[in-house]
Amino acid sequence: MTRDEITAHILQIFRKEFEIENPGLDDDLREEHEFDSIDAVELLLQIEKMLGSELTQEEKKQAMDIRTINQVCDYIEGLARIRQNVS
Amino acid sequence: MNRRVVITACSAITPIGRTRAEMLHCLTNGVSGVKPLKEDGLLSSFIHSKVFGTVDYPVTYDFKRSFRKTMGPVAYYACQVAKETLESSGIGQDLITSGRLGVAFGSTHGSPTVQREIYKTFFGGTQSDVRSIGAVDYLKSMVHTTAVNITKMFGITGRVISSSTACTTSSQSIGFGYEMIKFGMQDAMLCGGADEYDTTTVAVFDNLLACSTAFNDTPDQTPRPFDAKRDGLVVGEGAGAVLLEEYEHARKRGATILGEVIGFSCNNNGGDLILPNLQGITETIRIGLRDAGISAGEVDFISAHATGTKMGDVIEAQAIHNVYGDHPPVVGLKSYMGHTMGSCGVIETIILLHLMREGYIVPTLNLSKIDERCAMIRHSREVKDYPIRTAAVQNFAFGGVNTNLFIRKISQG
Repeated sequence: MTRDEITAHILQIFRKEFEIENPGLDDDLREEHEFDSIDAVELLLQIEKMLGSELTQEEKKQAMDIRTINQVCDYIEGLARIRQNVS
Repeated sequence: MNRRVVITACSAITPIGRTRAEMLHCLTNGVSGVKPLKEDGLLSSFIHSKVFGTVDYPVTYDFKRSFRKTMGPVAYYACQVAKETLESSGIGQDLITSGRLGVAFGSTHGSPTVQREIYKTFFGGTQSDVRSIGAVDYLKSMVHTTAVNITKMFGITGRVISSSTACTTSSQSIGFGYEMIKFGMQDAMLCGGADEYDTTTVAVFDNLLACSTAFNDTPDQTPRPFDAKRDGLVVGEGAGAVLLEEYEHARKRGATILGEVIGFSCNNNGGDLILPNLQGITETIRIGLRDAGISAGEVDFISAHATGTKMGDVIEAQAIHNVYGDHPPVVGLKSYMGHTMGSCGVIETIILLHLMREGYIVPTLNLSKIDERCAMIRHSREVKDYPIRTAAVQNFAFGGVNTNLFIRKISQG
């Protein structure tokens, strides 16, 4: 998956699951879009579906500092890299 | 500190409508909100009682996703009546978020609809399905979901009380809210209760042989409080909220005062968790009268709990007779809409406020032939001009919990 594809997929999830339309890629999601810890947990489930594999507890904890769409995409790229290396 | 407590706004969602006009139309024309039980694909086919007090009209909501995400059906009901109550009260955001306004709101058991989905996943799903049960499902289904979704939506920072005592849930909400203000802990309390459409509750009462089953083909003829042919209660759904406010606070801001809460009692039978108890209920009434500082003779109208069960109605009639004799007219409002469980106390209080305002009383529906064991009290049997000055709202719950609220009309000049 390219970076652009990941971004497009995440923006689609934000639109469909969180009713957040076209957020700026560096918007603070909590401050500007009321995206809270409950949403973050829901997003992790969506990311698991996207990657087709479960996240470890450690990986989930790493996501708790994420604030922007760009950071979400960085996080997914990192997860995908790890899974690619393992396989 | 003993401060006066008044009701300055209210809102309801009931099987007989939402507005004062809709409810009074049903109450004065003998229109019932009891409908056939809906097929739910799980329990309904096993339940003998095929009737339900149903909200069969659409309720429109306008809640942002950030609020909706933690709300099950019961919280939608609760937040909608809370919203309308706050809006119609005219109080400002400064009071709402001051910490001096609290919430007393509950339901019988949170959201059974969401709980049902959780259990379906839990018992029928794969491992990955089970992992999908998340924090949101808990927030939607937990027993205090109504109260805290209200605090979240309106930024309320005061006290939170979330009674969950089945049929006395919302009468406790009003009573405990009244005490919060009376004793100076809060200046205002948003009080009420809600319960969503749910067949689990019907199944419980059905198993206990407490549900009506003889009128499955004619739902509007049941329940029949105090009637010789009554055969049990009818479960219903609904929600109601009232805003309680310290009297001087309300008066100074020029609020419309719908009524004053002058007394409240709550006790327990101290024994059996199901059977009605004459001594316990009689004592509830007496404690309430003492709290209100009035004599039995001053009460001129009673909204009875009157679920339509064989024994419950007889015991309640005896308790009323023990204290009041045959003086005040007694109405059983559940005859119009069934037993709306966690919301019945507040809905019955709101209807009482409407009757106080209008200056007439309404009959108990389906009371064709009074059971002779309930005949010693004065039943309300027709729509009749009757100025109510002081009234009692009685509610009793499984677990032996009894409540009594006393409401007085205030003349505003």
